[in-house]
Amino acid sequence: MKLSYEWLKEYVDIDVSGEELAHGLTMAGTEVGAIEDVDGDRVMDLEITSNRPDCLNIIGLAREASAVFDKDLRLPEMKIPERALGEKGPPIKCLVQNRKLCPRYTARVITDVHIKEASERIERRILALGLRAVNNVVDVTNFCLMETGQPLHAFDLDRIRGGKVIVREAARGEKLVTIDGVERELEPGMPVIADAAGPIAIAGVMGGKTTEVTGSTKNILLESAYFDPISIRRAARALGLSSDSSYRFERGADKGMTLAASDRAARLIYEEAGGKICELYDVGVLAPEEVSIEFDTGKAENLLGISLEPEKVKRIFRRLGMTVSGEKGAKMVVGVPSFREDIRKEVDLIEEVARIHGYDNIPATITRFVPQVKRKERSRRVEEKLREMLPALGLNEIMAYSLISEAAVKRFAAITAYPVALRNPLSEDQKILTPQLLDGMLRAVSWNINRKNTDLGLFEVGKIYSRVRGAFLEVPAVCVGLTGDLRKNWQEGRRPANLYDLKGIVETVLRGLKLSAVFREAPVEGLANCAGIFLPGGKESIGFLGEASSRLLSEYGISQPVYICQVKLDAIMENAVLENRYLSVSRFPTSVRDVSILCDRSLSAGEIRAVIEETGEEIIRGIDLLDVYEGERIPGGKKSLTYSIEYGLESRTLTDEEIEAIHSRVKDGLVKELKVSFR
Amino acid sequence: MDVLKRLDEIKSDFEEELTHCRDAGDLEAVRVKYVGRKGELTGILRSLSGLSPEEKREAGKRANVLKNEFAGSLAEIKERLKSERAREKEGGLDVTLPGIRHRMGTVHPLTRTMARINEIFVSLGFRIAEGPEIESEFYNFEALNIPLDHPSRDAFDTFYIDREYLLRSHTSNVQVHVMQRQSPPVQVIMPGRVYRPDAVDATHSFMFHQVEGLLVDEDVKFSDLKGVLSVFCKSMFGEDIKMRLRPHFFPFTEPSAEVDISCIICKGEGCRVCSGNGWLEILGAGMVNPKVFEAVGYDPEKYTGFAFGMGVERIAMLLYGIDDIRLFYENDVRFLEQFI
Repeated sequence: MKLSYEWLKEYVDIDVSGEELAHGLTMAGTEVGAIEDVDGDRVMDLEITSNRPDCLNIIGLAREASAVFDKDLRLPEMKIPERALGEKGPPIKCLVQNRKLCPRYTARVITDVHIKEASERIERRILALGLRAVNNVVDVTNFCLMETGQPLHAFDLDRIRGGKVIVREAARGEKLVTIDGVERELEPGMPVIADAAGPIAIAGVMGGKTTEVTGSTKNILLESAYFDPISIRRAARALGLSSDSSYRFERGADKGMTLAASDRAARLIYEEAGGKICELYDVGVLAPEEVSIEFDTGKAENLLGISLEPEKVKRIFRRLGMTVSGEKGAKMVVGVPSFREDIRKEVDLIEEVARIHGYDNIPATITRFVPQVKRKERSRRVEEKLREMLPALGLNEIMAYSLISEAAVKRFAAITAYPVALRNPLSEDQKILTPQLLDGMLRAVSWNINRKNTDLGLFEVGKIYSRVRGAFLEVPAVCVGLTGDLRKNWQEGRRPANLYDLKGIVETVLRGLKLSAVFREAPVEGLANCAGIFLPGGKESIGFLGEASSRLLSEYGISQPVYICQVKLDAIMENAVLENRYLSVSRFPTSVRDVSILCDRSLSAGEIRAVIEETGEEIIRGIDLLDVYEGERIPGGKKSLTYSIEYGLESRTLTDEEIEAIHSRVKDGLVKELKVSFR
Repeated sequence: MDVLKRLDEIKSDFEEELTHCRDAGDLEAVRVKYVGRKGELTGILRSLSGLSPEEKREAGKRANVLKNEFAGSLAEIKERLKSERAREKEGGLDVTLPGIRHRMGTVHPLTRTMARINEIFVSLGFRIAEGPEIESEFYNFEALNIPLDHPSRDAFDTFYIDREYLLRSHTSNVQVHVMQRQSPPVQVIMPGRVYRPDAVDATHSFMFHQVEGLLVDEDVKFSDLKGVLSVFCKSMFGEDIKMRLRPHFFPFTEPSAEVDISCIICKGEGCRVCSGNGWLEILGAGMVNPKVFEAVGYDPEKYTGFAFGMGVERIAMLLYGIDDIRLFYENDVRFLEQFI
């Protein structure tokens, strides 16, 4: 909504600068944006909130200004002068078929008008507000719309066919060319004004071309009505057509203004275009609701945290167009005018007092601190811990969109159950709530590699979404991606990342949550060398890690190996140990023995470790794999693994003899169970 | 026996002096002083005449052991000094070679910003609560006094999943869940991800983050809201920041306000960031509308409360001077690594 300061001054006695007016209105809830100079006038851009349709006109804004600056409001003369009234005009029938759509419809016949340009006083006002000047009759309807907020429409009476206007719902297949020259297909249910032959206006939205007022118009029918806000809103949305008229009707026109605005417009048409003001057709009744609310100043004081003079409160109410009666000290009964349908409860009145009194005049108090004793949720603590540990391991946190394309979902079809799709997506790229974090990770990897950031360690803590048996699931998960060089320096040269780096990250993080995991080969479509990740004793995997397949890489335009894992956090959040408990550190020294095992290539490190752990029992304090070797120095089809095993007891120091004995037992065990030899 | 005691003193003096030696000259001086022809040890050996044969033998033995020990130490240090010198001469240590650096990871700027916001409110006694992103009409709209087919919905354009479910357009849905679960006093903040069908550009995103707060108790006042928000603004943006509240409209609060802070770039003088007016809008807030209390079964006669909400991207952009919201979701490491 635009506001002309000069126009405003016609209705309220204020004399502050444009900037002061803008500040005053802004601090009372009508935000003023840009201020422009137009021919010596100050024109302001206002943001009117949806609860205040009464401010979508100059009189309403004058009323606001009158309250903010405590100045008198002056309303214009609305009545039709005696001399303008004419004899009987051409007969016309007004029918309202759907009273819900249109509780009140008025139409005034005005004959013998003289169409020309509007006078300067009308034209400059509407031009200042950014409207187009058309002719005196159309300009007056726009002037009154802006002045009173009541949308009006003038039909060329002689072009209405069959001598009647009908307010009804559009029928299937009906069309109308609106005054902007666009042919519009009407949907059943849309409110229209029709004559005997068909629609002549989309009620409350825009008039039709055939009945518009032109230079040759002689007689007019001036419409002023109240249309149902929801019907207008639906029609305007369905047509993608928001007009000054529909904007006001959908927010609720002033029920007390239907006839008054019609009179005001007839008066101005008479002044601008001459003619005779004839019959008024008035169909339906629309009594504005009588609303009175009990107001207790004490309660307002309590809610706002200030003290208020009842006299000042009353003054604010009256300035805002309300009536005050039944005054008993701090208590009063407030009558609410028809243009303030947003005010129905006492708290609505408290807001009026607060905003006119000024939010700046309410103090800031810091009296209530309720100390928090409850600990954070486990889920949040696990997420926070991950966001500490993963960066400590050198990884950068990313955030990807949780809406992805259907194609991206299909790439990981094997790990995707029941994705959740949007009914009204903005684009094909953001259509489905992501069922995995791999797409976002690979997109981030691709984005970076394309910009020559080729050494990457990234992670995301996010959610994966699915719909299972009607219920929506949002499961927290973490995804890690590694690619390029893990380290690069003049001592070690390039050290490309590999799958074991990724596995190490997973193991380290799980250890940080005092959990361990079992890794088992488990294929996942799109990943090579893939392992499933299981909590000990867990039947279902909590995630997987692997190397992105070349097909997958090419889909993301990546041409270097990428190692990627995804782990769901629900089971982890349940099982993680977040408290620290001290376990006594043994005072007795341990001893380390190395052993180099020669075995078939097919034997897994996991099997060897299991045998060592089993035979060594509690005497084993640690097992480190120091070296894995395959090559010329050993027979073909074989490999060599060198372990460093640490022995010790909690209660005493082991003797050399005891250590030798247990170490031999471990070696014997390896030979017996796995048929290995030693180097 | 005095002589043995004296020998011990000589040993500790010798060791002490040795630690101060910086070059061969220093070493030679120490050698002469202790094991030279007129040195301390030689002096002791010469002064044994007044002692019994027993004592003589013992002291002599001890002095000879020390003499060998001293000679060994001197040789060792001489060698070490020599090799250090040699290394320096050869340029073996180039102090300008880069150290072997470790990769330091980073936390996403939005995570950091959200954590900072949370931390401030947690210090004021707020508890963190979370809720679903896929939400029903009731929690996202109806319970918050946002009726269907009402212009107030225009501000909350929404992605729908089916007729009933949608992607939440604000984290206010969590307010409703929290109030249904517990009775007052309630003091929570609700961080989370929200969605609105906005085409992506430098300042719009169809997905973004919010933090909302809610405090409900007996006798909560608008002035308390101002107090908490002013603590927040100062903790977040600096002691000297000014804050103002402007009346506004939100269906779920009344009275409602938009909260501005004095521009952190130009300090209120007027610049491009604040569109020249010196103020930056950063929050929406207000007293909880009694209709919301009715929807969750709280007695609106007994309880009052306030709620507020802010966009995390907006705050992060102001805080770090970021001018394009898309940077948060592109995940370029040259961007991410700045937030260390």
